[in-house]
Amino acid sequence: MLRFGPAMGPVAVVVLPLFEEANRVRALAAAICRALARRGIGSLLPDVPGQGESRVPLEQCGLPDFSDGIADAVKQNSDTSRRCYSVAIRSGALLDRTAAVHGRWQLAPQDGASLLRDLKRIRQAARPGTPLGDRWYQDGDAPVEIAGNRIAPDLLTALPLSKPWGRENGGVVRTVRLETDTLPADRHVAGTPLWRRAEPDTDPALAALLADDIADWIARCEG
Amino acid sequence: MLPDDYDQIDSTVRATLRDVLGLSEARAASLTADTALFGALPELDSMAVAGLLTEIEERLGILIEDDEVDGEMLETYGSLVRFAAAKTPR
Repeated sequence: MLRFGPAMGPVAVVVLPLFEEANRVRALAAAICRALARRGIGSLLPDVPGQGESRVPLEQCGLPDFSDGIADAVKQNSDTSRRCYSVAIRSGALLDRTAAVHGRWQLAPQDGASLLRDLKRIRQAARPGTPLGDRWYQDGDAPVEIAGNRIAPDLLTALPLSKPWGRENGGVVRTVRLETDTLPADRHVAGTPLWRRAEPDTDPALAALLADDIADWIARCEG
Repeated sequence: MLPDDYDQIDSTVRATLRDVLGLSEARAASLTADTALFGALPELDSMAVAGLLTEIEERLGILIEDDEVDGEMLETYGSLVRFAAAKTPR
């Protein structure tokens, strides 16, 4: 788990997206954390089970394991004087549902059905000429390999029902999307969808802009 | 607002290729209807195709079925824009 910024005051817990997109946006997430530190806000970048530096194999993980990992990171880093806020990127917004955070900030949140469609398309691309049916991931209990990630069929089965936390669930939620994204949001900003890039890249201007938005939002929540 | 005329669809597809493949502005601007894509553009491997199609769906508000994705649709820049335009409600 990487920590940035002051050891006091509010903490932004940055939740990376699942699978390949985590690698593509890790540099952006770290740039946001450093920019938050310059604005006096502490942050941390936890690895969920099965991802990053975790020793648990991904194929043994389900969505509840990821959510528990985020909830634990929040629990360990909050006390009466330190409140945690989640900063979820893409499908990371599926993983902060059980965390005791005081607000949820989301960048281009992706629901589970959309993520499953992405995964199917990636798997299909690796197997041209073999059309995948609707039950493409339900062939026994064996993990399904998608772009180097071995994913449990149960996890894939759970995805279509999984949605990011919304205002209808209560609490404070702020959603930011790129201006090229046609879905509704509290704010649309200029930037590159780094989560689509085959080669990981970063966008310093986007990171600075997002850090400003997060810092202002946390200040309003704390105020 | 969703792009709804051919020029807007062209510029949306061009910007999507630039953003997903990491093309320079100059390279993206130089794409013409006859520019060969899949098999000719080294950045456009099958993994990148998956990201490209999903991003086009998101930006144009369309849904591309898997059985519609074939070599012809991705043969040239022009064929990709024509496909996107045919899918876009106007």
